[in-house]
Amino acid sequence: MAKTLKDLRPVYVVGAGWHRYQPLSETPYVMLGLPAIRGALADAGIAWTDVESTYFGTGLLGMAAGRAMLKHLGATGRPLVHIENASASGSAAFRHACIEIAAGIADVSLVIGVDKPGVVQRAFTKTGISNLADDAIVPFTHFALLTNEYANKHGVAPEDVALVAVKNHRNGALNPHAHRQQVRTLEEILGGRPVSGTLTALQCCPVGEGAAAVIVVSEDAIKRLGIDPAHAVRVTASAASSERAGAVGAADASITKDTIAEALAQAQIGPRQIDVMELHDAFTIEELQYVEAMGICKPGEAIHLLKEGAFDIGGQCAVSPSGGLIAMGHPIGPTGVGQIGELALQLRGDAGPRQHKGAKVGLAHMVGLGAVCYVHVLQRP
Amino acid sequence: MSPSELLKPTLYAAEGTAAVPDHPALHGGKCTCGHVFFPMQTYGCEVCGRNGDALQPLRLSGRGKLIATATVHIHAGKPPKPEVKPHEVPFTIGSIALEDGPTVRTLLVGVAGKALKPGTAMVATLVPVGTGAASILDLRFTPAS
Repeated sequence: MAKTLKDLRPVYVVGAGWHRYQPLSETPYVMLGLPAIRGALADAGIAWTDVESTYFGTGLLGMAAGRAMLKHLGATGRPLVHIENASASGSAAFRHACIEIAAGIADVSLVIGVDKPGVVQRAFTKTGISNLADDAIVPFTHFALLTNEYANKHGVAPEDVALVAVKNHRNGALNPHAHRQQVRTLEEILGGRPVSGTLTALQCCPVGEGAAAVIVVSEDAIKRLGIDPAHAVRVTASAASSERAGAVGAADASITKDTIAEALAQAQIGPRQIDVMELHDAFTIEELQYVEAMGICKPGEAIHLLKEGAFDIGGQCAVSPSGGLIAMGHPIGPTGVGQIGELALQLRGDAGPRQHKGAKVGLAHMVGLGAVCYVHVLQRP
Repeated sequence: MSPSELLKPTLYAAEGTAAVPDHPALHGGKCTCGHVFFPMQTYGCEVCGRNGDALQPLRLSGRGKLIATATVHIHAGKPPKPEVKPHEVPFTIGSIALEDGPTVRTLLVGVAGKALKPGTAMVATLVPVGTGAASILDLRFTPAS
């Protein structure tokens, strides 16, 4: 019988670091990644030579980005693997590092996500099967169609959906690592550049450059390296899935529903026990759909909870206190890793002005093109 | 005048199905498991994995019901070849549930000023998309009435 993460050795996140997510610049990717790694090592209080393996999440850098960067920390000869899984590349890298630690193959692993915007041809355009208008339908239109469907079904106005962006920009304004660090009014968001359907520019995530790193370790490593146990947050669930035939409704929401349910079952908790979560809100509509898919409320009701402040920092469950993809940004490889780092800070009580007080249980969720889905649960021991 | 050329003849035909003769048909397929899909392919069935001859061409009627729409305001894509007009913003994309089963997404025409409610009956139509003398036609969907 297959095991889950919780059946194996306990896995802990003990350090997090970032290079700010920002618009494309001249900065080489190496100089995005190294500060994030050095930050995570310092946060964990360990040395690079303590790291036994590296998982590098990246979608856009191209082949073999890792060693050319990591050698500047001192070439230790330890194993390195690159993981591409579209928007969920960083989340996938984190999952596989956790599996290695849980299995006892290593005691200390680094997860690093680095990306810079670049032209990478999406493989699904090379399958040899074309479609009616694949040159006219990009992701923002996919989500504009889902917004229209949701709005019609539940009688929700476009200005209500845009409230997600108001909240997430407000959170991002408190995050020094965020791509967008400016509070925005509903009028600014609705009055911005129209993109597709009712989506405006500030309701769509910025895809820039940046880096995020976390250190995952075993209990043995915590003891051996003298890591402060109060600095350790346990990973109690890791679930992953891909789109399946016959699912009802939009694939993004249906795989979210299934994968979050599996993660909550692994962690043996219910959706209302989550204090803080980082969701894949690449577009405003997604936050509403995913909150509903995970069972926090019934379909069509998320907007009411949002208006009541239930998803604010300090509310019933802080949703994307980092600013989410909409404000923190979505540089692809770093995104899923940065979510884990944000949860680690929140659960340790180290999130500063965006701290959700008393946070004990955190959930990170990413969807990647394909579609694939990743969900992790982190808990303060 | 030369006869019209279809932009994507592997995806649709000018002739309709027996059920809906007046609107272009779509080249879909059906698996022996019963799954109906679009576009036609023989790589393998998305439901059961059967491949090759288990997947047979099935012409789908160009008729369906509207699920959702989005009018696109930003578009950077280039046309597939120089003889074809680029998509000029704003243009409207629709999701349509075909009466034969599959859901397709493509450009809509004839929707200006019309209320595009979910469930609106939609039909396939061919529109000229060429830039020069040659007549090139591409498939769109439009409200049935």
